[in-house]
Amino acid sequence: MNRFRAVTTAMFVAGLFSCAVARAGNPPDTVPPAPAAIVIQNATILTVSHGTIEHGSVLIVNGKIADVGLSVKAPKDALVIDGAGQFVMPGIIDCHSHIAVDGSVNEGSISVSSIANIAEVLNPDDINIYRDLAGGVTVANVLHGSANSIGGQTQVIKLRWGQPASKLPFEGALPGIKFALGENPKRSNFSFPGQAKRYPATRMGVEETIRGAFTEARDYQRTWADYRKRAAAGEKNLIPPRRDLRLEPLVEVLEGKRYVHAHCYREDEILMLLRVAKEFGFKVRTLQHVLEGYKVADEIAAAGVGASTFSDWWSYKVEAYEAIPYNAALMTRRGVNVSVNSDDAEEATHLNQEAAKSMKFGGLTHDEALKLVTLNPAMQLGIDQRVGSIDTGKDADLVIYNHDPLSAYAVVQKTLIDGRVYFDRQRDIAARPEREKEKKALLEKEKKAGEKKPDATVEIGKKPAGKPDEKKPDAAKPDATKPDDKKPDAATPDKPKPAQDGSLTGGDL
Amino acid sequence: MNRLTRFARFVTFSFSLLALPLVTLAQASAPAATAYAITHAKIFTLAGPPIEDGSLVIRDGKIAAVGANIEIPAGVQVIDGKGLQIYPGLFDSVTQMGLREIGAVSATVDETETGDFNPDVVAATAVLPSSEHITVTRAAGITEVLAVPASGGMDSFGSSGFIGGQASAIHMAGWTINDMLLKKSAAMVINWPSIETRSFDFTTFSIKEKPYTEAKQEYDKKVDELADWLDRARHYAQAMGHAGPADYNADVRLESLAPVVRGQLPVLVFADDARDIRNAVEFCDKQKLKMILAGGLEAYKVKDLLRSKGVPVILRPVLTEVQQEDDAYDRLLTQPAELSAAGVKFAMASFDNSFSRRLGQNAANAVANGLSYEEALKAVTIYPAQIFGLADQVGTLENGKIANLIVTNGDPLELTTDVKYLFIHGQITSLDNKQLRLYEKYSHRPSSK
Amino acid sequence: MRSDANRRHTFAFRSLALAVLLACAPTLLRAQGGEPRYYAIRGAKVVPVSGPPIENATILIARGVITAVGKDLTIPDEAWIIDGKGLTVYPGLFDAYTDVGLSGATLPPAAGGGESGGGRGGRGQGGDRSMGPEDRPGTTVWRNAADEVTLSDKRIETWRSAGFTTVVAAPKGGLVPGQAAVLDLGGERAGDLVVKSPVAIPLVLQPQGGFGGGFPDSLMGVLGYIHQLVIDTDWYTKAEAVYEKNPRGVERPHYDRSSDALADALADHAVFLIPANNSVQLRRSLVLVDRWGVPGIVYGGQMAYEVAPEIAAKKLPVLVNLKWPEAEKDADPDAQTTLETLRFRDRAPGSPAALAKAGVKFAFYSGGIATPKDVLKAAKKAIDAGLAPEAALRAMTLSPAEIFGVADRLGSIEQGKIANLIVTDGDIFAEKTKIKVVFVDGHKFAPREPDRPKDPPKGDISGTWKLAYTTPQGSEGSTADLVMSPDGTISGTVTNVRGTATIISGYLSAEKFSFTINLPIQGNAADVTFSGTFENGALKGTLSVSGLGFSTDFTGTKPEGKSAMQAELDAAQAKVGDLR
Repeated sequence: MNRFRAVTTAMFVAGLFSCAVARAGNPPDTVPPAPAAIVIQNATILTVSHGTIEHGSVLIVNGKIADVGLSVKAPKDALVIDGAGQFVMPGIIDCHSHIAVDGSVNEGSISVSSIANIAEVLNPDDINIYRDLAGGVTVANVLHGSANSIGGQTQVIKLRWGQPASKLPFEGALPGIKFALGENPKRSNFSFPGQAKRYPATRMGVEETIRGAFTEARDYQRTWADYRKRAAAGEKNLIPPRRDLRLEPLVEVLEGKRYVHAHCYREDEILMLLRVAKEFGFKVRTLQHVLEGYKVADEIAAAGVGASTFSDWWSYKVEAYEAIPYNAALMTRRGVNVSVNSDDAEEATHLNQEAAKSMKFGGLTHDEALKLVTLNPAMQLGIDQRVGSIDTGKDADLVIYNHDPLSAYAVVQKTLIDGRVYFDRQRDIAARPEREKEKKALLEKEKKAGEKKPDATVEIGKKPAGKPDEKKPDAAKPDATKPDDKKPDAATPDKPKPAQDGSLTGGDL
Repeated sequence: MNRLTRFARFVTFSFSLLALPLVTLAQASAPAATAYAITHAKIFTLAGPPIEDGSLVIRDGKIAAVGANIEIPAGVQVIDGKGLQIYPGLFDSVTQMGLREIGAVSATVDETETGDFNPDVVAATAVLPSSEHITVTRAAGITEVLAVPASGGMDSFGSSGFIGGQASAIHMAGWTINDMLLKKSAAMVINWPSIETRSFDFTTFSIKEKPYTEAKQEYDKKVDELADWLDRARHYAQAMGHAGPADYNADVRLESLAPVVRGQLPVLVFADDARDIRNAVEFCDKQKLKMILAGGLEAYKVKDLLRSKGVPVILRPVLTEVQQEDDAYDRLLTQPAELSAAGVKFAMASFDNSFSRRLGQNAANAVANGLSYEEALKAVTIYPAQIFGLADQVGTLENGKIANLIVTNGDPLELTTDVKYLFIHGQITSLDNKQLRLYEKYSHRPSSK
Repeated sequence: MRSDANRRHTFAFRSLALAVLLACAPTLLRAQGGEPRYYAIRGAKVVPVSGPPIENATILIARGVITAVGKDLTIPDEAWIIDGKGLTVYPGLFDAYTDVGLSGATLPPAAGGGESGGGRGGRGQGGDRSMGPEDRPGTTVWRNAADEVTLSDKRIETWRSAGFTTVVAAPKGGLVPGQAAVLDLGGERAGDLVVKSPVAIPLVLQPQGGFGGGFPDSLMGVLGYIHQLVIDTDWYTKAEAVYEKNPRGVERPHYDRSSDALADALADHAVFLIPANNSVQLRRSLVLVDRWGVPGIVYGGQMAYEVAPEIAAKKLPVLVNLKWPEAEKDADPDAQTTLETLRFRDRAPGSPAALAKAGVKFAFYSGGIATPKDVLKAAKKAIDAGLAPEAALRAMTLSPAEIFGVADRLGSIEQGKIANLIVTDGDIFAEKTKIKVVFVDGHKFAPREPDRPKDPPKGDISGTWKLAYTTPQGSEGSTADLVMSPDGTISGTVTNVRGTATIISGYLSAEKFSFTINLPIQGNAADVTFSGTFENGALKGTLSVSGLGFSTDFTGTKPEGKSAMQAELDAAQAKVGDLR
């Protein structure tokens, strides 16, 4: 089906259910244990940074890669994973994702929506976290949408399925902010009946919207500096400047404390942004989509800006009509750090395949292709000291395939993050009947409750009915976000009440 | 000059620009009495076991000979196929090829006619022979497609059409649509209605749940309307049969439904949910329509019904977002294997135009998840040909069939395989396309450093 | 511009309250006229909640206050004696969050809120849509439940008749609708009902007005806005103070009605009411209270069974919504319900038990349950799911009083507290228990069912209706979202250009229906009643406006529902395009 419409719809619907339903409970229900040591043996190790090791091993100690090579010294209590005939590669890093967001990914109303922050609305129960894990993704750059010239603040996460929102952010990863150029921020492809067109409506206006915002931000920066100076000088009766949550992230950009991830398509707007960044003295960290990047690859390389693009998407709008699948290869050859991203929960489940296409289209080598979804995005997100290749000392974020991952025939067997097996194909398959059983039981129980008549009364002071102990969350394990309550309770009394919203959203009177 | 005309000018202008290089491309596929022989290649005829060191002779657009030790006639252009492999060209059996150029620009989209009942509209009429999608897609080894109206989901105005019109099978090369036509009317498109308890209320701007009984009534009304159209078409067909034109009021829509009610033209019914599929199959059974299911995301739930009724399926890409939250993450990836084991006849298609070139990738992913390699290959070649009654013309490499074939350096389903030669209508067809040209152009941009 | 808007609103609400007095006082005077102020309930079982039950005890009431509780008390001659033999006395029930007692009228959702549009971020093209935090979208903090009490709200009587003597009522509409007050459900004048005001400022963390409705149109936008509002309020107070000390040579801080009202409310110890129902929202609320540095109370709390210990660690009180999640009535039989939803429906009633076990202070609220009897049934479910009956009772009496800082006057049967009592013929949670007498502020009320036809409803009127009629202003339309309980009681909302109003009474009896909302019309609060017949899927009848003596015919139809998919795609296309 028409992919871009499908995605749009999905996004839009997500937007409708603003307080997204808490979705959890897909296998595994609880956070996997973190064995002190794991050794993956006798596998083909695609280190990405220093070539491929046939029949090699990786040793994981306390969530970090302790050793990698033809043979490693593993403690005897180490959990052994036999990698015979399997391929191990670094966890896939998706540099453009919209998963795990509670509510709309767009604060689409205004042209500068930097006040909105993805980090505040992470939804750890989004099933797409688990599905992307099953596709080998371990890190995602969760971005605000592209409805605004300057969009909301963004967050790099690890796909730690089953953990609460507070455990998702990639520790120490610099926060980002989304920019968007071209058709989306100027609302080329839609408008609201009876409403004045929003500014900007042209690429010229997009430039001025960004320049205007950063001029304000610079002024705001000065105002505060001035205030601090005078306060330090002991001046009395000072009224401090009003904090402005819209400008603060822009000041962070000016101070190099926040990355700019800019959605862009056409060559002209790419050069425009590079100019504006130069004018205000900040760096653009990544150009996102950048489908015409191949036309200005030298300029992008010279500016030291990363490029994160699609494998072979094109023609869904005018600015995507000159998109070519050679984009990643061409920019790579011109010295740009390039990654291939998904922008879509489903596309993310086969980014390894999408990277492989750059071998066909533009002739990248096997390692160069692998880098597009591992080391390169790691560099673009400033986390390459921690992830992106299989090197001693890095996080044990690994994917195990049954074939060369740069093939359409490869299937993920296990995905590890911080040395925990967050996805295991066998465990997933084994868990299915159990879940089916539980579902049936619960449906049965609801049916019975519907038929059952109200039961006897309870007297104040009498023993309470029910088995409270089965209901309470496991206080012992604060990490356990999903209490494992498989035993359905006795049928509850009372007839079903009038139709009412079964969603998990709250707060309405 | 108002904005609209300016924009119109801009579009036509840019298209005329793009059209220029296409002339040279089209030339390559102009029918001409040429003969070729590809020798010493591994040939996957899909009509029998692969031929290790075989040759294939093409004459007058048809396959003249194929085998291990056939003699190469004189005067044919010989291509040394050493180390290469020959396959039937891939057949993408649900696309909007030529009907949608730029998704967001409605002026370039001729996908879905407005209104619910348009049995008379024919895809071939609006297929743009110079569409960039055709040259880009055939470079991936796709030699014929079905251009299907009202198949791209809802159009910009939310209309998906009920009876969407007639799908056309086309070759992926030709000067004009006439050169390209494989079968003008290959199927009648029906978008099967769902029982929708959730509807969108614009005044309160929220999704409303409505009682099932209410939704069911709305659904029944729609289906009755469809049945009514078919009844009227039957009577119309009879009248056409024995009365002179004077005795009945001519009606183009009923007229185009006649072959459907006569069981001559299959209906291509779009449905994904198990219930919709079940309802559609029962309906078509009762109405004695020749049904082909398109979509089938939940076909596995009704596989026995599909097999027993002999309803073939055109499957959506396995690389599609899993439908239900509780479905297994690989639910769609494993479906082809499951249907194959259940003896359900199916083809795989892209259901798109710009992603048509992912056809092979999708088939390979099905293999990775349990489908046999041979079945996967057939699901993108001979099976769609059989399903749409074109098996005598395309889909395998056999004497007398149209020479739509590809010569590759490897597995055509694999991501990294290159198509070395592309034959459509027995003509060597250019692999050049807009994207390749842009690649070459900008590879040669002088370094600005 | 701004101040104009403000004046308009204040005027509207003042005159509204005024109108209410004029309209309603006389009837009530007749109902309550000349009653005694001294009572003695003798020989009843007393459940004080603050202590263990006392068998065969006596309660003395004088001038609205409990003067004594205990055995063998001497009963003053002036006391009206009620023989409590075989009866049980409880403190009056407390609905911890509702809009009972208020007109339920809200501002039109389209409006930015308090301040008018055209702010930063859009070159002033907002029109009436908010274009940034400075436009204070959906913010009317200055509204106060105490000023919006509407004695004509029939729910006051139905709630009271079911044993509810006290509610925390809050204005509705927007992101920060206004200030909540503690109300007693009985009195002759609107003012009589107000026990304490303000007690809380409810937040609604949901985008208003849909896409294209202006800022904010996303959850993260809403959060960003609340952050800014809190920061601005803090800044505003400080800046004002500095300026007042020495205005010379200092730029004058501009008047900001929202910050001004919010600052005052917080100074009066009002707390934030934060919506959070599922585990993600609950955990988020724990972060938000810290960030805002304003004391908070969570409302919703139905997935607390997953996070109770974390809530306990933060010492955050929780108001649990008793409207438990349940399957849709007449739902699609083939519809897929996710395991997580099934688990939630199954475990939600276990949340109070989990909270109790974790030591969280919690109270119950009706959460829009239409008939008060069902509120008690819902509480019973929590008991069946493991909550001690005492704890359930406490969550509807003393606990909410403590949470809202009125335990010194309400919530238990103790000497000196307000005489809010209910006298029953059995256990409060028992299905067949009848409430004999209700005391509110020492006034005795005989519970009575609202008078209305008793025939069982013919069909189900639930759903979304488009109502069409003609007013002096021309032809108008409303959208009615009706929910009918099995006994025919109709609840829900009616939305039109004037805003959204809660249905304050309604029923379907046989095919006859009637439902009433209360709206400020021409500055006066007026009851608008839709009544007529519900036959073959359509509504036909008359719309009448009390006070104005205006009435007109109307028809109601269910909009031909587009398929959800189609409508979503419509909207998606019409709106976001491809904004990835």
